[in-house]
Amino acid sequence: MAQKIVIDPVTRVEGHGKVTIQLDENNRVSDAKFHIVEFRGFERFIQGHPYWEAPVMVQRLCGICPVSHHLAAAKAIDQIVGINPEDLSIPAQKIRKLLHFGQVFQSHALHFFYLASPDLLFGAESDPLKRNVVGVAMAFPELAKKGILMRKFGQEIIKLTAGKRIHGIATTPGGVHKNIQAKEREYFLDGKEIPNIHTMIEWSLEIIEFIKQYHLDHKDFLDSFAAYPSGHLGLVNKENGFLELYDGNLRAIDAEGNSTLNDIPCDDYNEYFYENVKKWTYLKFPYLKHLGREKGWNRVGPLARLNVCEGIETPYAHQEWLDFRAATNHKTNNRTMHTHWARLIEILYCAEMIKSLLEDDDLLSTDLVRKGNRRKEGIGIIEAPRGTLIHHYEVDNQDRITRCNLIVSTTHNNEPMNHAVKWVADHVLDGKTKITEGMKNQVEVAIRAYDPCLSCATHAMGQMPLNIQLRDYKGQLIDEHISS
Amino acid sequence: MVKTNKYLLIGMGNSGRADDGLGWAFLDKIAQNPAFNFDLEYRYQLQIEDAELISNYENVYFIDAHYKAFDKGFDIYPCEAKSMDSFSSHELSPQSILALAKTIYNKEPTAFILGISGQDFRLHSGISNIAQHNLDKALQYFTHSILPILITDKSHQLL
Repeated sequence: MAQKIVIDPVTRVEGHGKVTIQLDENNRVSDAKFHIVEFRGFERFIQGHPYWEAPVMVQRLCGICPVSHHLAAAKAIDQIVGINPEDLSIPAQKIRKLLHFGQVFQSHALHFFYLASPDLLFGAESDPLKRNVVGVAMAFPELAKKGILMRKFGQEIIKLTAGKRIHGIATTPGGVHKNIQAKEREYFLDGKEIPNIHTMIEWSLEIIEFIKQYHLDHKDFLDSFAAYPSGHLGLVNKENGFLELYDGNLRAIDAEGNSTLNDIPCDDYNEYFYENVKKWTYLKFPYLKHLGREKGWNRVGPLARLNVCEGIETPYAHQEWLDFRAATNHKTNNRTMHTHWARLIEILYCAEMIKSLLEDDDLLSTDLVRKGNRRKEGIGIIEAPRGTLIHHYEVDNQDRITRCNLIVSTTHNNEPMNHAVKWVADHVLDGKTKITEGMKNQVEVAIRAYDPCLSCATHAMGQMPLNIQLRDYKGQLIDEHISS
Repeated sequence: MVKTNKYLLIGMGNSGRADDGLGWAFLDKIAQNPAFNFDLEYRYQLQIEDAELISNYENVYFIDAHYKAFDKGFDIYPCEAKSMDSFSSHELSPQSILALAKTIYNKEPTAFILGISGQDFRLHSGISNIAQHNLDKALQYFTHSILPILITDKSHQLL
């Protein structure tokens, strides 16, 4: 008899999603989907607000990566006041970058230590009551201590630059609100109240050694689990094609490393991307127009970024990147579980960049804001922890936002995550007469590798049908309203 | 006055859900008391890193709204460390945080939970009249019965 397996909710991810896997009469997988069940509507209700409110409002998209939205929106609003990213004052650029590296550092630390490590340390089929961050803390207290303090360090960097750890405000149109005082940065350098940045670099290197050893010990699993060919998209440095998280050109490659998007300026993104909509999920499906819906989708995030870049400007991270590339003989890496490894290299990169910025006296400057000539629209693209994040606003003569388009990192990963779910369904669940909790967790393991931020990613396009059902405590339908 | 790491008050809850904001409302009020000069932390919910936070203190008070209608409008009771046994680590209990502080940092602060009875937990700003009444009673108790002990204790520390 045909059956439907439902995993609801998907756990240890940000936001709400569910997986459905259809099995036929012979327990063969006939379909597998990853549904996003949240409906947010930011692109709609932000319309009518003054443009300068956008960087504040869009932070409420998320509690884990609000800084990404703040900075992407800020870059777009900069353009509306006539300032391109390179026109910001040098101190303002550096303060924004310090904020950005702080948040990528803490977000990646949170994901690895809190969300992903339980599967890696205990196994995907271990006891679910222990297979969580508390279980990790109890079994590996020293590891937990480092994870907690690394996350705290990144959050304190955010607080330094934005005023508070979550939903702070660092930017103003054309610049930043405040500089950094000498005494403020000492907090991160002297190691008196929290471990200093040198310790953060040391711990980042340690955790990379852990994942490299883990790879050697679990090579088959890490190399093959949920691995499939795909395109990869990310920003690269405009000068040298190196890893770039704050401002760069858009680059995409296919699964073999051939160029599919050749260092496009961010302002031209709309010429290259479409978004498809399916009725079974609130998450859209972006793809490159010239490749079409079937071939034009891309992974984004740490794995994609390390694939598209030509190096990393910080010495330790660059060496680790070389080791990472060697694992696939310097060919494009399509191994989903290697995303964890890539993420840890980015933690190291951020730590090295934070150190460099903290030691830079430009942070102390009072040259913080630039002014330009008003424009009708602005585009801000940044590499959020989870991938390429696009904010695009149009405004009218009364300074009100008239149109907003957001293509969020996890949205790009929608098709990849669906592929990952299908891979696990086909390779782990297919043909099985008994489906265990551990098998279902493997579906989640594949999704978790992308560190999805599902609350961020869900948006509407066009007129979405809305079905509201009122049910009593027994689940009986009392009333229903459908708007088309 | 010198701040001490001896006492910490953590107010928990969501002020966007009516009486669930009682924890934060308590902190707001106690902070206005000129005699109060101890550390406060506001939290929507407790998370694993709060184990690191409380490991730096000798005494911790967790203040939160409670569904139960206590006779006095509030209740205060010792909080004992207890390992979490739940499918979700999204929101941790004070007991779990204490257990984590012990395991990870080998620290065992003395802890209490101050639960204040709430009635309305819908999406709404501002607490209900009943919750306000209970908050006032809890504040009165804390101010007259507990705060003097904290102050006296700190005075001894400074001598």
